[in-house]
Amino acid sequence: MAQPEQVTSAAQSGPYDWIGTSVPKVDALDKALGITQYVGDMQMPGMLHARIRWSGVPHAVIRGIDTSDAEKVPGVRAVLTAGDIPGVNRYGLAVQDQRVLADDKVRSAADPVALVAAETEQAAEEAINKIKLDLEPLRPVLSIEDALDPTAPAIHEGGNLFARTTVRKGDLDQGVRESDVIVETTYRTHLMDHMAMETESSLAYIDPTGVLTIITSTQYPYRDRRQIAPALNLSMNKVRVVQAPIGGGFGRKDDITSEIHAGLLALKTQRPVRLIYTRQDSLIANTKRHPMLLKFRTGARSDGRLTFVDADIYGDTGAYLSLGAFVIKKAGIHACGPYDVPNIRVDTHTLYTNNLSSGAMRGFGVLQAAVAHESQMDQLAHRLGISPIDIRLINTLKPGLPTGTGQVMDEGCGIEATVLRIKEYMESQDLRFARS
Amino acid sequence: MEHYSLKINGNVYETDAEPFESLLDVLREKLRLTGSKKGCDEGECGACTALLDGKPVLSCILLVSDVRDREVLTIEGLPQGGEPHPIQVEMTERGGIQCGYCTPGIIMSAYALLQENPRPSEDEIRFAIAGNICRCTGYSKIVEALQAAAGTPIR
Repeated sequence: MAQPEQVTSAAQSGPYDWIGTSVPKVDALDKALGITQYVGDMQMPGMLHARIRWSGVPHAVIRGIDTSDAEKVPGVRAVLTAGDIPGVNRYGLAVQDQRVLADDKVRSAADPVALVAAETEQAAEEAINKIKLDLEPLRPVLSIEDALDPTAPAIHEGGNLFARTTVRKGDLDQGVRESDVIVETTYRTHLMDHMAMETESSLAYIDPTGVLTIITSTQYPYRDRRQIAPALNLSMNKVRVVQAPIGGGFGRKDDITSEIHAGLLALKTQRPVRLIYTRQDSLIANTKRHPMLLKFRTGARSDGRLTFVDADIYGDTGAYLSLGAFVIKKAGIHACGPYDVPNIRVDTHTLYTNNLSSGAMRGFGVLQAAVAHESQMDQLAHRLGISPIDIRLINTLKPGLPTGTGQVMDEGCGIEATVLRIKEYMESQDLRFARS
Repeated sequence: MEHYSLKINGNVYETDAEPFESLLDVLREKLRLTGSKKGCDEGECGACTALLDGKPVLSCILLVSDVRDREVLTIEGLPQGGEPHPIQVEMTERGGIQCGYCTPGIIMSAYALLQENPRPSEDEIRFAIAGNICRCTGYSKIVEALQAAAGTPIR
């Protein structure tokens, strides 16, 4: 049974005494008092409020954007489109495939098309709704199957298959021959929003020395700066990114969110600009967890020992890559889970679609793989008449055994102990599997 | 614009606001009481929870025109004599806070509970904060902190 967590006194001396000690977070009391200043809590004199007009359609050619009615809304100080970007209209964490504002084409329903800065939130909102988009719809690519269709339109130059990775170990044919049972299943996982409690937000202003300063809810101020400066045609030392307290990130604030837009509006208006996403903005825009299609074939001998894993994993990274190729590659690396598998063939495929784009999220591809490899284990156990716990104990990685990619486990490998604890707990509580 | 005299945390605040503005926007943008947070702005997440005449309310879907002549209590009004309220202390010391964005709302819901029911059960605590979404902690440490603040045994 679990022991209560040991809480020792922090009032000890010595350089390592903090290890194993519960210490209150240094910033927690301010948060409890409500005095922590998140970006949305900040104001500056003369500050304008910004809103973004999203494309609303997944794939289209932009024929025209009419901002004339929006500009007439009282209190509006700037309405910007792609032509107003002083630098390179491209950014992205791994490859520069995103537009600060859509220019030639719309590639997802969450493409930013125009920006408004106004004296009040209400005026900014009214103005974005008065922007008229003339879009010529293109055939959309809305699923992994669509993206694999050779007749599908290419969303970017270079086609819809961005990357393929492989994991190979042993001899797959031998693994198949040695199997007494083979389970073959296709799994699908869905897109998921991180739903951080604080939406994306930035406050941009030009400081008295002429440096564009952007206070933002971000996970990576320096990577942000590297993407902001070229888009705004500023040298790196003229851009300062300040990481504000973050009301939750979970991966989605790895990417550029509101930073370039707020900075561009501050440059154009020469006034402080605060851009806070509404919850709806946050839900449609920026990265999600990758939907994946996982085709798995797994074999085992009659004694429960795994013989092979043969899998193809397709990841829908949406209209923009973000960190997609790395997330999907990682799903492949972890396709065999914490088990010793002698023969492996795993391919991953990173695909562009016109869906919302996906990127980093807690687990980074490992969870999608787990849906497949753990479901395969349960099916094998059922077919072989072995308990789901025992089939895992037969196959868990242990110190000295290698993963599918050749990393040899050391004493830090705790999966066997973990499964044993679950077994112990289930026995002590008289818990049984619904199907075994 | 209309003029409002609002009773908040025992003080009277004078402000002009449109009648359609939410109490949350007036608190945050006009009165600069930014402890109440805006997570969804549609009454779903609980980050904006304040007390109106002692009862927890979602200040993002409450019009400022509806709080005239009523007592509002926000997170800023909780400390007494410069000392944090025991809920604030326990949340800090027991790991009930990570990103902190849901924290003021959770503390206000818990405060309303303890005013009515000083020795709540774990189930009563969980029910009282059921309208407050937290994406970091998984709630266990929050519940433990609230049990400690109430002086009830921790599981």
